[in-house]
Amino acid sequence: MHFAWDSEQRTFRSTVRAFLADHLPKDWESLAHGPASQAQSAFSRNFCGKLAEAGLLVPHWPKRWGGRDAGAWTSFILAEEMWEAGEPRGGQYMNVNWIGPTLMRFGSEEQQARYIPPMARGATIWCQGFSEPEAGSDLVSLRTRAEKQGSSYRINGQKIWTSYAQHAETCFLLARTAPGRDGISVFLVPMDTPGIIVREIPSLIGEGDIHEVFWDDVEVPAGALLGAEGQAWDIARTALSLERVGIPRFALATKMLLRAVSILEQAGRFGYGAIEQAARARAACEAARFYSYSIVDQRQHGIPTGPEASAARFATVMAERAVHEFVVEHVPEALSGGEAMLLAHHQRAIVAGIASGAAEIQLNMIATDLLKLPREPR
Amino acid sequence: MDFRLTADQGALAEAIDKLALQFEAKPTEFRGFALLGHELDKQLEDGQYFDIAQVPELGTLSAAMAVERLARVPFTAEFALSMLVRPQLPGEWPRPLAVIDKGRPGRFVASARTLIIIEADRIGLARPDPNDLESVESLFAYPMGRWKAGTETAQLSPEDADKVRKWLRVALASEASGLAHAAVASAVDHLTQRKQFGRPLGAFQALRHRMAECAVLAGGVRWLALKAADTADPGDAALAALHAQESATRIAYELHQMLGAMGMTLEHPLHLWTYRLKALLSDLGGRGGQALAVAASCFGDARDTLNAAP
Repeated sequence: MHFAWDSEQRTFRSTVRAFLADHLPKDWESLAHGPASQAQSAFSRNFCGKLAEAGLLVPHWPKRWGGRDAGAWTSFILAEEMWEAGEPRGGQYMNVNWIGPTLMRFGSEEQQARYIPPMARGATIWCQGFSEPEAGSDLVSLRTRAEKQGSSYRINGQKIWTSYAQHAETCFLLARTAPGRDGISVFLVPMDTPGIIVREIPSLIGEGDIHEVFWDDVEVPAGALLGAEGQAWDIARTALSLERVGIPRFALATKMLLRAVSILEQAGRFGYGAIEQAARARAACEAARFYSYSIVDQRQHGIPTGPEASAARFATVMAERAVHEFVVEHVPEALSGGEAMLLAHHQRAIVAGIASGAAEIQLNMIATDLLKLPREPR
Repeated sequence: MDFRLTADQGALAEAIDKLALQFEAKPTEFRGFALLGHELDKQLEDGQYFDIAQVPELGTLSAAMAVERLARVPFTAEFALSMLVRPQLPGEWPRPLAVIDKGRPGRFVASARTLIIIEADRIGLARPDPNDLESVESLFAYPMGRWKAGTETAQLSPEDADKVRKWLRVALASEASGLAHAAVASAVDHLTQRKQFGRPLGAFQALRHRMAECAVLAGGVRWLALKAADTADPGDAALAALHAQESATRIAYELHQMLGAMGMTLEHPLHLWTYRLKALLSDLGGRGGQALAVAASCFGDARDTLNAAP
């Protein structure tokens, strides 16, 4: 065990930083006020194409799909640098982290050939149709139906909280093909299919971030089914395990904490109370960082990740909370026309415990699977 | 960055684990505060485990891992300072070691052969006359003692003082990690066995979530302690110590709350870990002291840190 970066890891990080320095415009931080905003989404399409050309979009993917089998550490260093910079990949980080790898595992040859190359080129945006008005954390109770009719499926229902829906070309959709947990299936659906209506939900978390998506008699061919009917639980579990330690939120949180401290120092406002709170937040960020690194290290060495991934996620939630609360208390101008990036961080940080599944679900998993506490009665 | 144990680290971990397993159970008749592990100390001495940090193939990270593991047993001995701080002292100083901070009673002081004396910014070392040391009754589950002063102290240079302070922080965090993990495990046992309202306490979400949060905190303390032991960076040491004290405060409170009256008894072993954790809370100025150390190392030049090379 050792905690130093090796020369290959340092070189890769430098390469990514140099790329960012060369390709982010001077006004990037004012542009990066939300990964799903119109301005950033337009920028991201172009940016991801350049990343792909430089071999920096999917280096951890297999060679067959445009990568170089670079491993989990490379993927995570890349993710750290991107998130710390304000995530210039926009919604395409999902393709890179879990949609692509999930399709490589469960997709048919036709699906892989159709969907993976555009992801590897940085030329497409996806959204995930998981949550519904009556099915958030309790995903099993989802009601959107996909009924088989001859050689096609007819989909009816409603999804909610869907990020990137207004920009996405394709939806990774969960729909019910039969009753019960084993009756949920995954469909890959082009968002321009007739019958899909997207409505943005104005929110605290930034322009264009969350949406309602209505599915009204949407007809898709049988080939849109990913894997087998009823296999969604397996597929979603794979996807979520990749997503749980997917966003290195601690990286931007640490950067914004240092920036807030710098503002306070320059203004002569970094007094003892602020120092103590900032130090606690810094420690929380470091704890989240090394918790996450421990999961990345397991992935790198082919060790199946267990409930520790939930612990890493929860540590990250605590770090995000510590930093954004510090900023609100000591640099309140961030929410009133101050530094754009501090505001952007705040808007991302407040969903840390909600996006990708409620943190309370992670706590349940830690209690049951890590601590082996008795299960709650159902 | 590679978190797999080397062959040497793995062999050491196995040996320490085997040794620790002999001391896993609190003697049922014990109803006291400081459960002294004389035999534990002897076996560590005989096996030359106090010198782990100086073995090139093992080093300070392995020493921290050993401290972390040994802190999980209900018996206690002075191993944290011996394994992590003593190798950093200028010259040869005998063990056991103890810290006297602001003249207050300290852990293992009554049996110490080397005292680390902290007075404001200065740190001195002393070989005390045993007649100048006395035991003190204490709730902290360590043998606490007082120094009746008088011995001449060797003042450390500011550089050596900083180094000692740094390794005291690594020792604190490593020990706190082991204590926190053991305390959580002990409380999990209770919540699994104790039934109320017809089901185990551990099946109530109100307790499951808090217990899970305690486990997350303990895990974070472990990672920061190990990292600081490996990098020997003063900022890492300060972050590790701060997170340890911050987490210990929460964990000690939560676990006693969850154990109810049972956790107030001396029959249950929980206090052996929680009251050791509480004893660590005031070290080196407590959380406020660690925060200032973090600020000095991590915020001194925030703009440069932001622009630092990887």
